[in-house]
Amino acid sequence: MTYNIMTCGVGGQGLMLVSNIIGLTCAEYGLNIRTAETHGLAQRSGSIYTHIRIGDDVFSPLIPYGEADVLLGMEAIETLRYIEFLKPNGVIILNEYIWQPVQSTFDRVIDSEVKYIEFQDIIEKMKMVTNRIFILNASDLALKAGNPLTSNVILLGALSKIEGFPISKDQLKSMIPNVVPNKAIDANLKAFDIGHNMI
Amino acid sequence: MSEILDTFYQISDKMDVRMEIASNEKVALEIVAGASMGGQRSLTALKSVGLNVASDTFFSLGYTGVNKGCVMVFADDPYCHSSQTEEDGRFFAEYGYFPMLEPSDPVEAKEMVKDAFEISERFQTLVLIRTTTRINHQSTVVPLDPLNRTRFIPGSFRSYNRSYATVGSRARELKSELLKKRDRLQEENENSKYNIISGETSDIGIITSGVSYNYVLEAVRKLNINPLILKLGTTNPLPNNLVKKFLKPLKCVIVVEELSPFLENKIKALSKDINPQLQIFGKESGHFSEANEYNIPIVLNVIREVLNLSSEHDYDKILRVANELKSILPIRIPVFCPGCPHRATFWALQRAVGNKTDKLAFINDIGCYSMLLLNAKIYSKLHPDDLLLAMGATIGAASGVSLASEEKVLSIIGDSTFFHAGLPGMINVSNNNENVVFIVLDNSVTAMTGQQPNAGTGYGPSGKPKHKIQIENVLKGMGFENLVINDCFDAKNCIPAFKNALENSGPTVIISRGPCALWNDRNKRSRGEKIQPFFVDNEICRKCHTCMLDFYCPAISMETTDTEYLDENGKTWKGYSSHISTELCDGCGVCSILCPYTDHENRSEKDVIKPFSKAREVRHDL
Repeated sequence: MTYNIMTCGVGGQGLMLVSNIIGLTCAEYGLNIRTAETHGLAQRSGSIYTHIRIGDDVFSPLIPYGEADVLLGMEAIETLRYIEFLKPNGVIILNEYIWQPVQSTFDRVIDSEVKYIEFQDIIEKMKMVTNRIFILNASDLALKAGNPLTSNVILLGALSKIEGFPISKDQLKSMIPNVVPNKAIDANLKAFDIGHNMI
Repeated sequence: MSEILDTFYQISDKMDVRMEIASNEKVALEIVAGASMGGQRSLTALKSVGLNVASDTFFSLGYTGVNKGCVMVFADDPYCHSSQTEEDGRFFAEYGYFPMLEPSDPVEAKEMVKDAFEISERFQTLVLIRTTTRINHQSTVVPLDPLNRTRFIPGSFRSYNRSYATVGSRARELKSELLKKRDRLQEENENSKYNIISGETSDIGIITSGVSYNYVLEAVRKLNINPLILKLGTTNPLPNNLVKKFLKPLKCVIVVEELSPFLENKIKALSKDINPQLQIFGKESGHFSEANEYNIPIVLNVIREVLNLSSEHDYDKILRVANELKSILPIRIPVFCPGCPHRATFWALQRAVGNKTDKLAFINDIGCYSMLLLNAKIYSKLHPDDLLLAMGATIGAASGVSLASEEKVLSIIGDSTFFHAGLPGMINVSNNNENVVFIVLDNSVTAMTGQQPNAGTGYGPSGKPKHKIQIENVLKGMGFENLVINDCFDAKNCIPAFKNALENSGPTVIISRGPCALWNDRNKRSRGEKIQPFFVDNEICRKCHTCMLDFYCPAISMETTDTEYLDENGKTWKGYSSHISTELCDGCGVCSILCPYTDHENRSEKDVIKPFSKAREVRHDL
């Protein structure tokens, strides 16, 4: 059995941390894993993704189109951008957040009649390919966890609750202290639980 | 490639390894070659375009050979994820007579690098490890062996009693030895464990190498077939006899390799004698492209078409549906980070250019500032897509344009690129008094590849102090007299220097100085400092949009509901306020300098852009 997760977002949102935690957990518990990451010019504020593939039969670092079990989206625009990777009726775990590209702001400065794309527009498109969309306001939940920078771990916690996800909640959680800085461990563990309980 | 440097950076102190980031790839290759000749194992890592820079020394090194294990890891970049050209560096190996190993995944890469050192010592040659972006930018579990390291003991160049010199008659002798060496290497490769044959005997075969091997393995499984597969790991010199033996019983062979038909052409040549009827499917047959990278769907579609198979996988349909859903999406092009010094520099430069935009030619170079090119529409006043060739090429190209054309020529170059390949060009400029304005964007580090220190940073691995090279001293030494240093974050005060430079004739240099935002943030974090973001007071914002016009900060957006503000003179300002995300703002404060309704020198409640009440933590993933 192969389990494919694609994470997407905007550079600087902490996607690498998510794939590091999953990758190290797999290594620890003897699961075969391959991950591939975006490589581009400066990745800050650009569209970024990681492919995470777990299973004995995995060779390619890239997920084939239509085979991601889960799209884990830190930002709405950049999650729809990789929709071709999602399985028919696959799961989308989406942060309720939209980060308008500078190019769109530029268009509005030139012509204030131009509108930004809205979160709901994106959800409607996603609903055309799946009805398993979990929307979490990760930024708000991260504040509850005590650290606004833990939105990524909120989504990771939610992922651990998805049926079929091959790593147990406790295994995944136990890796967090090895990856995040010491002073942020408590907030990240709390964020993980909050996310887990949201699904 | 930079991750290899970063990792060695972290371990060099603990592991008795001497590690340097050389000013360019040619220097790096010369250092490792010299170190090998001096009696130590050595390794250099560079990407395809870096191999171009190193190539002059590279070819000589084939002739001279080396002494202790000497390995070069290089990376091609199918799809040009981060390169100016999509090159196939495998030809360098053949052209230079070097053995080349191509790993298909990280596990094999580790094995190959170990073996490469052995091969290098046995054959007294530099050994190449050829990778591509998808081999390098992947992670998997790699089993490790015990480290058998010995302490560093200096070798003795004298005691080896060997010559590493090539020219004229000596070169002719070396060439004939080199050809013999190549033949011996080919013989050895016939039995290499890195060339693997799998699958069931039939008259259909697939030959592949590198990351494509993985796509083939998954594609044939999806198609429920088990054809003969030859995975090549030693792609130069090719194990000709092994390939011939593989080809002989086949009716058709599919060659799966990204970029140029390197293997395909060799396979064609080899099949001519032993199996002239063989059908070869690959690039010349039109099934695979020489451009871009591959994936499972691309490989599966070709195998299906060639073998006339049916399958439930309709990737074209998936893409068609997805593209329709995505048609509502705005583009998102990478832009300068919040707090980036380049943003401030180019704001001031656009102000200085004003309406002279048509009388300007803009020569771009390689660095974070290359991104101007991707954003040519929003930086249209500067024409950032005029010209961009290669690292350091801005200087020579700018000189040429200025000699030939009437426009004022503006050339930009970063500090690392200046040290890398800018110096010879600058000497030429000073010597010939070329009429060009050079802007040196000095952010103190090699920002684009992960903020590695460079010659101007002043320290090396683990923060050890190093001799800091001051760009202005270098330029003064070359004889540049028109030289101004700008603090780019003092954006408004930078405009006059740019204006003057555009009026000047003769070589003019402006060093636009300010630290890379990501590097600065990391330094702040290690000092325990926080970031002081700004916010827009939308109660009094005049909705003039100056903070967005020509500034393009990802932390600034426009509000989506319009508001009104009645000022003390009874004037009503109506429209959409701007908005600064305090999560994204890096606190450079330049937008508060640009805001006509903010007095950044005497901050008060009346300012539209104000420091936010709460400083925020620096992200821990920086």
